[in-house]
Amino acid sequence: MAALESETNNGTGKLEFSLDVPFPSSREAIIALQSLSPDREPRKGGISKQLTVSGSTLSVRWSADEARILRVSVNSFLDHLSLVLETMEMFGPPVSQ
Amino acid sequence: LLHLLSVMTVVLGFEGSANKIGVGIIRDGEVLSNPRRTYITPPGQGFLPSDTARHHRAVILTVLKEALEQAGLKPADIDCVAYTKGPGMGAPLVTVALVARTVAQLWGKPLLGVNHCIGHIEMGRLITNANNPTVLYVSGGNTQVIAYSERRYRIFGETIDIAVGNCLDRFARVIKISNDPSPGYNIEQMAKKGSQYVELPYTVKGMDVSFSGILSYIEEAAHKMLSSGQCTAEDLCFSLQETLFSMLVEITERAMAHCGSQEVLIVGGVGCNLRLQEMMGVMCKERGAKLFATDERFCIDNGAMIAQAGWEMFRSGQVTELEDSWITQRYRTDEVEVTWRD
Repeated sequence: MAALESETNNGTGKLEFSLDVPFPSSREAIIALQSLSPDREPRKGGISKQLTVSGSTLSVRWSADEARILRVSVNSFLDHLSLVLETMEMFGPPVSQ
Repeated sequence: LLHLLSVMTVVLGFEGSANKIGVGIIRDGEVLSNPRRTYITPPGQGFLPSDTARHHRAVILTVLKEALEQAGLKPADIDCVAYTKGPGMGAPLVTVALVARTVAQLWGKPLLGVNHCIGHIEMGRLITNANNPTVLYVSGGNTQVIAYSERRYRIFGETIDIAVGNCLDRFARVIKISNDPSPGYNIEQMAKKGSQYVELPYTVKGMDVSFSGILSYIEEAAHKMLSSGQCTAEDLCFSLQETLFSMLVEITERAMAHCGSQEVLIVGGVGCNLRLQEMMGVMCKERGAKLFATDERFCIDNGAMIAQAGWEMFRSGQVTELEDSWITQRYRTDEVEVTWRD
């Protein structure tokens, strides 16, 4: 369901990680974005995470100082994402607007 | 407004700020459903945030399904989705907020972030019909004496270190008392068989209380006294309860005298302890005041309490926008403007 890739950006010396999650429609991708965005990263510095939606794909891009911090954030995001996807399966599809 | 008041309002509430996960549905003061699960750890172990969040993730959708089925409602019948915004443990709070945000959007319903402490107070008021009580809020994470004044639930006294329930839970861990159904319940049962009072520090500081010193003292003393046969585990349970609850009764009485209040409402998980209710009852009788308390269904964390506070907030015109729906581990009772009371 998801395409993952990890790379080290030579320019900034930061570790970067990106994830694309396909949804049945852009409506669902936006719902996931709005469910997953409000909470800030528990850690103050050393990591940033950006969520965007393009068409029916939710994209997440991380930039971190250390692999350890990146792993924690990505792991926790994947737990959250699975819960949102399960919720959509059980209580979706979205009602017509 | 007249139009709003003429229609029944149904609010669904999610709670999961500690080791209980609950979903409750309230329709104009009537509890339609309130299923709950508890994450129970082995004796000697507390519940850690990440393990608790994993527990909640595994069961939350089943509990939500149960809540709807028991209430006999469809998502379309819900008017508002309430959830605990804080205070509590971060990872469990996020878990619950994620599901609340997702279903609110799927069903096209407004979202409402609720202060957990306000949830306890409003549920207590609903169940007992207490009008304007002095509130003792006692649980594993909180210990506060609260009175309402001018649109705030004001904190008159509180713990300056750990919560009373945390003191009890950690004592239970030291002498390996079972966490099933809860350490506090098992301490209460053992205390009934205690006969010898072991003197413990008594630490009331004005309107505030302190429990960490008592915990350190009893942790240190427990093994020595038990191995030498000076007292039994039951005696320690009894002595700890008597000491902690006397302190709570003392600061509650002081707050009542200060406010001229004739009602006490006990809420929070420790509030279902019958010995605490009995001791508070004696004080109330002496003052000619009335005691209100609820049982474990509503004292212990549950979804309906969040639905009830959410119902009050929603009816007074509040909603939480998705971008403002972040959870917060710290969220004081007196931060909330009480828009639903005069």
